[in-house]
Amino acid sequence: MQGVAKIGTSWLLLAASLAWGQDLIGPKGPSVTMLPAPIISIPGGKPGEVQLRFRVVRGYHVNSNRPKAEFLIPTALKLDAPTDIVVGKISYPPGQDMSFPFSPDEKLSVYSGDFLVAVVVRPLHTVIPGKYMLHGKLRYQACDKAACYPPKELPVEFEVKVAKAAAPHKGNPAQSPHVHRLR
Amino acid sequence: MNRNSAIWVVMIIAISVMLAAAPYMARRAGLNNGFEQRDEMKGKLAPEFALESLDGATVHLSDFRGKAVLLNFWATWCQPCKIEMPWFEDLQKQYGPQGFQVVGIAVDDASKEDIAKFAKEMGVNYPVLLGKEAVGTAYGGVPFLPSSFFIDRAGKIVNRVSGLKSRSEIEDDIKAALSQGRAALQ
Repeated sequence: MQGVAKIGTSWLLLAASLAWGQDLIGPKGPSVTMLPAPIISIPGGKPGEVQLRFRVVRGYHVNSNRPKAEFLIPTALKLDAPTDIVVGKISYPPGQDMSFPFSPDEKLSVYSGDFLVAVVVRPLHTVIPGKYMLHGKLRYQACDKAACYPPKELPVEFEVKVAKAAAPHKGNPAQSPHVHRLR
Repeated sequence: MNRNSAIWVVMIIAISVMLAAAPYMARRAGLNNGFEQRDEMKGKLAPEFALESLDGATVHLSDFRGKAVLLNFWATWCQPCKIEMPWFEDLQKQYGPQGFQVVGIAVDDASKEDIAKFAKEMGVNYPVLLGKEAVGTAYGGVPFLPSSFFIDRAGKIVNRVSGLKSRSEIEDDIKAALSQGRAALQ
């Protein structure tokens, strides 16, 4: 019985991985996926950086955030933050300079495989501690070695945990040089 | 074989059947990006359209009746499309006197001005029309670019190619489009 169960489990895992692979390179064309983002804890009033990891399906590439040609569509993240959480700088990795069979003399700045986008978020002091979901969209335009696919928008969401704001510093009160203790 | 083993065997068979049937079901659901539709378009009359050109005129496919037409779907964000454009210009000069016409259809979110600027930078002199989704759909869907339709003198689709092909392959399709459909016109 155990032998049958082992074979069955292995077969199901193999079938599941094959089905997953088919979905990635499947009939709907290339896609970029977002890997689960780690939940980071940020104290109210302080900035924190969230690293979002995206994956381009093998065999395809997307333009970097700074493509070299005027009409190419840059990969760009747009976020709609909750009211009391400020989205700061969004940092993109530099693209890989690559040439392709369709234009061997020209280098394009692209992302392929995995790439990280860093987002600075700063909850205001007034935010009630807890978990908050941020939503947005990653716009990209993918190509392979011989064809290009229309621009797409990937829904993006990640969670940040707002911790209690640090208590204000309570040092000795400033003393005026003109105030002297009376003897 | 005990009861648990039998359950495992039944599960494995059921999943095998589901996986084997998946491609067929996807085709039935029309999820294959028009790959099947592509061949279906061959030999059919190219759908008529009315699209605005960069100079503001309304252009119909039927305006080119009697000519072999290369209908090229492209976009400003498509790098492989840029490779073909100078070839099309050359081929237009070479085969134009025999009754050949290249027509570009820009499938783009860019403004008319940007499309015109791009076409000018690429040295394009053949007509460029501003695409509409309905036209792409009428041609069986244009899931990726470049996509070209070779239409003979009688208006029938001789071939459809998607993705960048070699200049010689394109030229062969132009020759085929020029040679076919004469009888239907006479």
